[in-house]
Amino acid sequence: MIYFININKMAIERDDIMQAVQELNVPIMEELSRDIENLASKIRGFIRSQIVSFKKKGALLGVSGGIDSAVALTLCVQELGSENVYGLLLPEKESAPSSKILGAEICESLGVSYENVPISPILESLDIYKKKEQIIKRTCPEYDSRIHKTSLILPDFLNQGLLNVPYIRLIKDGKTVSKYRLKASDYLELIGLQGVKQRSRMVIQYMVAEKMNYVVCGTTNKTELVLGQFVKYGDGGVDLEPLADCYKTQIYALGKFLNVNEEILTRPPSADTWSHYTTDEEFYWRMPMHVIDQLLYSQEQHLPLEIIEKNTGLSRDKIEKAHRHLNKIKNTTEYIRAIPPIYYLSK
Amino acid sequence: MEQIKNCIIDYLKANSFMDKDTKFGDNDSLTQSGIIDSIGLLELVDYISEKYSIEIPEDMLTPENFDSLQGITNMIFKLAK
Repeated sequence: MIYFININKMAIERDDIMQAVQELNVPIMEELSRDIENLASKIRGFIRSQIVSFKKKGALLGVSGGIDSAVALTLCVQELGSENVYGLLLPEKESAPSSKILGAEICESLGVSYENVPISPILESLDIYKKKEQIIKRTCPEYDSRIHKTSLILPDFLNQGLLNVPYIRLIKDGKTVSKYRLKASDYLELIGLQGVKQRSRMVIQYMVAEKMNYVVCGTTNKTELVLGQFVKYGDGGVDLEPLADCYKTQIYALGKFLNVNEEILTRPPSADTWSHYTTDEEFYWRMPMHVIDQLLYSQEQHLPLEIIEKNTGLSRDKIEKAHRHLNKIKNTTEYIRAIPPIYYLSK
Repeated sequence: MEQIKNCIIDYLKANSFMDKDTKFGDNDSLTQSGIIDSIGLLELVDYISEKYSIEIPEDMLTPENFDSLQGITNMIFKLAK
């Protein structure tokens, strides 16, 4: 039996809460995997209500071959019927080949019509690959595009405790051969270049969705949302976000419940925008998914340190450092989540 | 040491979110006080590397070495020796 205390709703003293929480030994990971059938049902209801309120005929999704879009697509099909859902595969030169295959497989298995629209020509027309290559070359003198794959990484947070300093990593024959620190100006340019990938996808999604009178359904999860791990007006440019209140751990639980393809379930999460498949843990989270989700959840629920220590196995000192680190990320990414502030003439 | 510290203060006054009148202690946190953010920190690393012609080793890119004026000054002093 799994017990859960919703601290926000209990009008008892904090000491009592701590004692009760300790006695009941709140298992965060179990809590995040609890009542998934009900969760799926509520999300389905949300999808329908949004489409009705927007007066649209169906939903279009970008299908990446990852867990988030697989779950969102499945829920849309269950609620709206496969005939009212449309999938777009939007690969580019640096996407993992498996992404397209897995994306096509899930569309076919759900009976969803889909099309493949490679975005490489758009990126080439804007010199995105060329400009990216120039940054990599000036950062990594030994870089040779014929033999090296590349990825953007951040140092591990829990074991190294280093600053959030980005590195370009060169990979040859599957092995890391070197890494170089990126200059701030190059990092900023690179983020802008990389963002064109998600923003191009958004443009195509709306081009097709408007023709069909469909909504564009987003696939951002709560872990990504609170950390600002999405591109504003890119993958964040959608009509509804049915998964954005579910941590990544909950997305996996939903994926299992919905019988999503095992290969998608076991694939490490990634934005899939580097020639070497770079996981979210390596670039963004800097710690394993189960740890970051437990930390974010414990912040949200104001869980006491004792409980977080017990759940994560981290020391008190590391938890406090991680909380400060996550708070900094939340603050610095506030503008990504913000809708454009409006100056009201009457105020 | 004092020269390095003044140089960093001048840099922060010109390139960070601090006002010209902002006062901060040698050991105050630059990130907690909102003087620099994560991008500002990367720019500061670049500035120090260029100004003092030093390559800062990865294991020295720690919050302890970069989050206060004293930490930054000590680190530069050590590496520029």
